Amino acid sequence: MKKIIDSIFVLSFIFTSSAVFAKTQISWWMEARAERDPIVMEKLVNAYNSSQDEIELVIEFTAQEVLGEKLRTALISGGGPDIVRAAGPSFIKEYQMAGMLENLDSYADQYGWNDKIVPWAYNSGVFDGSLYALPLTYESMIMLYNKTLFAENGWVVPTTLEELEDVASKAKAMDMNVYSYGSTGWQPTHEHLVGIYLNNYAGPENVYKALIGEKKWTDPVFVEAIELLRKHMVDEGYWSGSLENYYAIDWDQFHDAFSARDAAMMTIGTWTFQRTEMNFSSIDDDWGWAPLPSLSSNSPDQNFMLAIGTSIGLNPNSKNKDAAASMLNWLFSNKDVVINLSNSLEFAEFNLPLYYEDSDFPTDVNPKIKDFLSTFGKVTGEGNYGYCTWAFWPADPGVHIWKDMEVVWAGDISVADYMADHQKLWDKARDKGTTLSIPNR
Amino acid sequence: MKIFLNKSLIAWYFILPVLLIHLFVIAIPSISSLALSLTDFRGMGKLNYIGFENFIELFDDRYFIKAVYHNIIWTIAFLTIPVFVALVCAYLLTGIKRGQLFFRLAFFFPYMLASVVNCQIWKYLFSPIYGIGTVLSGFGLDLFTTSPFTTKEYSLFAVAFVDGWHFWGFLVVIYLTGMYQVDSSLYEAADIEGASKYQKFRYITLPMIRPVLVFTIMIITIWSIPVFDYVFILTKGGPAYSSEVIGTYMYSQAFERFNVGYSSAIGTMMFFYVLIIVGLFGVLRRLGWEV
Repeated sequence: MKKIIDSIFVLSFIFTSSAVFAKTQISWWMEARAERDPIVMEKLVNAYNSSQDEIELVIEFTAQEVLGEKLRTALISGGGPDIVRAAGPSFIKEYQMAGMLENLDSYADQYGWNDKIVPWAYNSGVFDGSLYALPLTYESMIMLYNKTLFAENGWVVPTTLEELEDVASKAKAMDMNVYSYGSTGWQPTHEHLVGIYLNNYAGPENVYKALIGEKKWTDPVFVEAIELLRKHMVDEGYWSGSLENYYAIDWDQFHDAFSARDAAMMTIGTWTFQRTEMNFSSIDDDWGWAPLPSLSSNSPDQNFMLAIGTSIGLNPNSKNKDAAASMLNWLFSNKDVVINLSNSLEFAEFNLPLYYEDSDFPTDVNPKIKDFLSTFGKVTGEGNYGYCTWAFWPADPGVHIWKDMEVVWAGDISVADYMADHQKLWDKARDKGTTLSIPNR
Repeated sequence: MKIFLNKSLIAWYFILPVLLIHLFVIAIPSISSLALSLTDFRGMGKLNYIGFENFIELFDDRYFIKAVYHNIIWTIAFLTIPVFVALVCAYLLTGIKRGQLFFRLAFFFPYMLASVVNCQIWKYLFSPIYGIGTVLSGFGLDLFTTSPFTTKEYSLFAVAFVDGWHFWGFLVVIYLTGMYQVDSSLYEAADIEGASKYQKFRYITLPMIRPVLVFTIMIITIWSIPVFDYVFILTKGGPAYSSEVIGTYMYSQAFERFNVGYSSAIGTMMFFYVLIIVGLFGVLRRLGWEV
């Protein structure tokens, strides 16, 4: 009998002590990427879990194509992870409108997030005056060029439309494409180009006015911008030689084509750094980056489009909201962890929009990327920034801007009709209240 | 108790599990979808009843109309080319005594491959960088330099070709099975009368396999409505909606634009279309057709 009582005592002790000392587990669903995931595990998950004894972060990697639907279904049914991830503010806005995001105001006050995150990025998660999401990765569109090729031929990196068209004709004369780029595998790639022409031809000031409803998208300046894009894409075949080739080429192919000198330049987002660096590391050529050329006098000489590629918030159904908020605060407060993680990914991801000093960056940061980060900070700090479509367009106009661009390129509708359709969708979005917060100028 | 052990109910007991699964997987979601088509639901959050607004908008939506038109083209294409080729091939195979299994396997093989694999093969074949166009241009031939999947004039037909290529082997096997059921004495009699190969096909084989033929026509017509995978993988409905079909348009509305109510209205239209087709075959059956 004594043995039984002793056993019960020991077992109950083990049970209660394990419950008392068990860590609070918080979950986060993230899109899977084979080459990136081990780095995230080592430099984020392990780093956080070993930094304290109370909370255990668990990341579940899911295929990118299904993550959004899986997350949405889980949230609707009252489940889902503690930390909710979405591909930027327009998706976050949909979750917020559906009541599927926790209001973060109290945590923001408690942890002082407003002082840690740069204002335009912080405001991308503010809806109806309250914070619902934090920006996990900021990005921008840039131009890459083959530095060695440019040097060999004495070409000047274009900063204006005239210079661009000059380099384009020289590249074509050498039987080379102007830009390497393609949309197979990711149809919304078109919006990268639309965004460039809206911001760098019509200019960020006009885009801002249209975003806040002070200007119509049917304004001639926007029609001219898209007309120029149509000309460069369809008539001139700037991207991969022809519209059909642009449609047929995927991420791997256009990167390979760029490093193989099939094209002189590449229009792309800053998420390419890792891949481009990898491709050029095995060849003799060198690459460089530059701001996208200003295509008219409406656009400042140097101008970077702002975008948040990933936003994160908290699941209102979570039982561990405090623990999850504490984890997020750890991430947003540890610049060394963030830079270490982001540097391992060539600043393509986990590029948190915090206030950085030059001294924050370790010596092993790729000088090209360090140059971009400091230039981006300086230029945008002076107010020279534009707006990426996937960060500041509501869902319906946000899809129209790339999906129906193909109809213009096909010659099925005019640019004016396209912009008129676009304006109608914006009017609808304003009526429904699905517009996003736009960084002031 | 006895009433539950009634022999006439036993069949129902065996059917019941399947019925329950259908109830939860098919019936309830279908009814929900019908209800959602009358709302402005965006996939989550609140929904508002908006009557037939989605349907009114649908009839005014040029891309939906285009998608319907593409589905009709798709159905006609599948009812003609693969059926004709499969019939001819199956008939020719009946005359082959040695190596027939090889041909049957070869024709059927694409049907066993996953659609993603089939699509990837064809995508690579027509890639402007690695595809046959670059190989042929090495020989001075200017063919397939651009992918037909990315050309608005050909994209729908190119996708239909790939889907048809994977599908026709399935028809060959079905028709071949039907042809083997035909009484051989009919052919022997025809041989005695000096009938040609074409005459035997036209006046013996075709009438005798009519139930199989009509069945395949029915399933092709029904399967052509929700066509999705090959279009989605190869072109996503593009370029410029040139290969958009109802299925991909419905997906785009629901998962890209969050217009779930509108997407449900498209689904409802598809449902009624299938009902009409099935009803049509029901009428034909009542008229004495061997359907």
